[in-house]
Amino acid sequence: MVIDLKRCIGCHACQIACKAENGTRPGTLWTRVLEQELGTFPNVRRFSLPLLCMHCRDAPCVEVCPTGATQKRPDGIVTIDPDKCVGCRYCLMVCAYGSRHYQDEEWTYFPGDGDSPYEAMAYANHPTGVVEKCDFCLSRVERGLQPACVVACPAKARTFGDLHDRESDVSRLIDERGAFRLREDTGACPSIFYLPP
Amino acid sequence: MIEGNPGSPLGMGRLCPGGPAGIQLLYDPYRVNHPLKRTNPEKGIGADPRWQEISWDEALSIIAERLTKVRAEDPRRLFLCGTPVAPSALAFALGVFMPAFGSLNGFVCADHDCDSAQHPTAGRLHASSATSPDVAYCDYLLIFGCEAGLADYYAFTTMAQKMADARVRGMKVVVAAPYMGPAAGKADEWLPIRPGSGGALACAFLNLLLNEYGLYDAEYIRRHTDGPYLVGPDGYYARDRASGKPLVWDAADGKAKPFDEAVEDTAIDGTHTVDGRECKPVFQLLKERVGKWTPEAASEVTTVPPETIRRVAREFGEAARIGATIVIEGQELPHRPAAATYFGGAYGHDNAWLTSLAIELLNEVVGASDVPGGLLGCNPLSYGHSQTAMPRWAPQVDDDGLLLPNEPQRVDGEPAESAQPHSWRGLGGWPITTCLLPLAAAVRDGASRDYQPEVLINCGSNLLMGLANPEASFEAFKDCFVISFNLFSDETAEALADIVLPDACYLERLDPLPDWLGHGLSAGMGDWCYHIRQPAVEPLYERRHFCEVLLGIGQRLGFSDKMNASANLLYGLKPPHALNPEGEYSWQQMADSVCKGWFGPEHGLEWFKENGVLTWPKRPEEAYWKPFNRARVPLYHEWAPRFGEQIRQVAKERGMGDIDTSGFLPLPDWRPCRAFQPQAEYDLQAIRYQAPWHIFPQAYENPWLEEVSRSDPYSYFICMNSRTASEKGIGDGDPIWLESVEGPRLKGRARLIEAIHPQVVAVAGNGGHWAGGMPLAKDRGVFFNSLLTFDLEHIDLVSLTIDGDARVKVYRA
Repeated sequence: MVIDLKRCIGCHACQIACKAENGTRPGTLWTRVLEQELGTFPNVRRFSLPLLCMHCRDAPCVEVCPTGATQKRPDGIVTIDPDKCVGCRYCLMVCAYGSRHYQDEEWTYFPGDGDSPYEAMAYANHPTGVVEKCDFCLSRVERGLQPACVVACPAKARTFGDLHDRESDVSRLIDERGAFRLREDTGACPSIFYLPP
Repeated sequence: MIEGNPGSPLGMGRLCPGGPAGIQLLYDPYRVNHPLKRTNPEKGIGADPRWQEISWDEALSIIAERLTKVRAEDPRRLFLCGTPVAPSALAFALGVFMPAFGSLNGFVCADHDCDSAQHPTAGRLHASSATSPDVAYCDYLLIFGCEAGLADYYAFTTMAQKMADARVRGMKVVVAAPYMGPAAGKADEWLPIRPGSGGALACAFLNLLLNEYGLYDAEYIRRHTDGPYLVGPDGYYARDRASGKPLVWDAADGKAKPFDEAVEDTAIDGTHTVDGRECKPVFQLLKERVGKWTPEAASEVTTVPPETIRRVAREFGEAARIGATIVIEGQELPHRPAAATYFGGAYGHDNAWLTSLAIELLNEVVGASDVPGGLLGCNPLSYGHSQTAMPRWAPQVDDDGLLLPNEPQRVDGEPAESAQPHSWRGLGGWPITTCLLPLAAAVRDGASRDYQPEVLINCGSNLLMGLANPEASFEAFKDCFVISFNLFSDETAEALADIVLPDACYLERLDPLPDWLGHGLSAGMGDWCYHIRQPAVEPLYERRHFCEVLLGIGQRLGFSDKMNASANLLYGLKPPHALNPEGEYSWQQMADSVCKGWFGPEHGLEWFKENGVLTWPKRPEEAYWKPFNRARVPLYHEWAPRFGEQIRQVAKERGMGDIDTSGFLPLPDWRPCRAFQPQAEYDLQAIRYQAPWHIFPQAYENPWLEEVSRSDPYSYFICMNSRTASEKGIGDGDPIWLESVEGPRLKGRARLIEAIHPQVVAVAGNGGHWAGGMPLAKDRGVFFNSLLTFDLEHIDLVSLTIDGDARVKVYRA
């Protein structure tokens, strides 16, 4: 995935679309947007930085997972099998991007009122005691659709595609716009590329 | 999951954060699900209404009894307000139900998210209800207090894409604003200005362009504005004695002639003697008026360095490429790729009219108005669908050769009548989205008005939070019987409502024309579209769409005939698709008639249910009407002083004293807004800004949007400059008071930042709810509007804009 920081307007539509598609519990954000200001008045800039699982090529979370719950698919998507996850959270320790979430309690958005009908449906897919994270909306991708955050973004900041295909939009954007990755020093080789603001 | 429709030009499949969050609105357990009756007779802000669930039958009987009485005695005593979040549904309430009932006392409570000053200005200069920069062809965008394509602005989901495309293409964006919101954050350059000073900056730009750099489009000014019209020493157009037409100076003949007698070389400069009077062309007067606004003078006011003002003015003027043309779909058109745009941040002060005018004229003097690359009216010309030529409207010209100051007039043979909800014919302002009616309702003095509001129907607006201080809104309607359609039992419902009716949200209802083709659809090239909103689910519990309820009430009270006639007028329905006055129609049948009336019998409601959206291409002469139309736009607003004088006289006659109408000026200038001058320890100006996910008050109740604010470093805080804060001994996160020089104060926590003018504190709008019926929103953020005063003294009288900032001191709590 390529995220164009020149396009991103920090509106959080990606975050909300992710919530709507995946129905995660309160506090669990498979994608989120960090806000930061740099400089001092009046020479100051503000930046919005969308974050999600980086689906690293050499993902340390895959290496440390003792049960094989975290796997890397041949297409590059890193997944977690909740049935195999034992909630040890080693993967949280090694992820340099804070993109994994441990689901420890059955939190609800409407405390005291139980789960809403939507929540009741959605949370059936989110057992507690396990780690979860972005899977690039695998169920959509398998149906030939784009991830929810990609289609929702009103600024068209996110582009999803095949990094190995030199002709793909993602490859072209990376070449044309001088893409960079976050924390290249980790050596994990993230699959999320950012275009400069 | 809620997804946009990629086949619709409205958003082209993209969504704002509120879109997918709608699921939570649908299933929120705190929604009002049944009719409620107040059992606590004591109304009041913060009072517990002690709701009692009642049946729809009982609720409608109570309402019918009240309304029957009012209609028999004096129908004008029915007032109706609503939220612009649902514009087409509200148009039905204001444009069909109310005129049929016999009252035109309807208004939109715009929650400061809708503009008041821009509407009438856009009407006079662009034949539209609103404006939007043509970013697809723009190279230099100057933004004054506006989040175009970034947060609170027209056609957000489309504009966000167009703006992002333009940024990538290399359009330069310069933003003048006191607080670095999303627009300034994405800009190439931020000009941190003091709140309410944008007009001074624009006047300085005008001065430099006209008097120093000579960067103006003389040809455009001659042909498309009143620039050559002569103005006499009395401040009004010099007119031909015989015809009454405005005169221009024919430089070749050396004499004055009516504007429409073909003259090649009309003077736009100098002084000319006409009938023994010294007259000057409008353009000359404009040059003289802005002459005092040197960069140094504007710098004093705005705090922007003079050299920056000079540079930006030159960049803007040069970017406009005066004289350039472009070919779009075979049409050769002027290309002015520079636009100045603005919104509530710039005009939300009591100098709103003058500020709006100064910014608008930046576009006019370089000819960047309703041509490619410039500032456009939002879709002021429509030739209609190719098969039916409907809907159809166009800018019209008045007897003075000027653009008729209105929404575009329908040109289907029917004159636009007062039943049109967005018509302000004959008025100087925009009575619908302003505070005029609540202000008037607050006046209890029998001498100034011969009737009082008796019943208020509220269609989802939150009056108490959306205008200014809630006490004033409460006082205005506390003696009314209040019927309120609500999603939630909000602050206004709990304080004022006698009956609350459970409204259906947008996922539960059918709406024909859910977005206006005006400013709902992005301006400039692209497709026209018409689509319906259809229910994703049937209304849950006992919720009902308020339009269906109003329709039923009208039928019960026996004025279906008048509703049908009003609907025919509002939607421009003609036989065979016009509603029969004798008929009784369901909401679905009415929607079907609108669809067929506009797009032919094959495009009825069933077609739209199946296909969702009908699109057809916009022509260049629709997107860019100026080169094809002889209507001139006024640089000089002759109506303003005349209108001001009329208002002053009326106020005197009504015993309201000698009100100050000195702001009714025909040309731009800058005057300080009320909160501008420091007063002793009140050394800061407090402003509100918009978080993109919290436009309009009910968004705070949505748990996903609320979650965004909770993790956002700014939304729930009072932002202030870190240096200012340290001088006051205030640390990040400290509880602080903001106290207005006028008395009210509010408490919040300080967030120390760099991206704000040192003399300003900023608060995200629409926060600080207190209603028990909105538990997620309750106590989240800060209720900024409590600092504002709602009375005649605190509005811009010309545009009826509420003064939106406050002079404050800040201290630790």
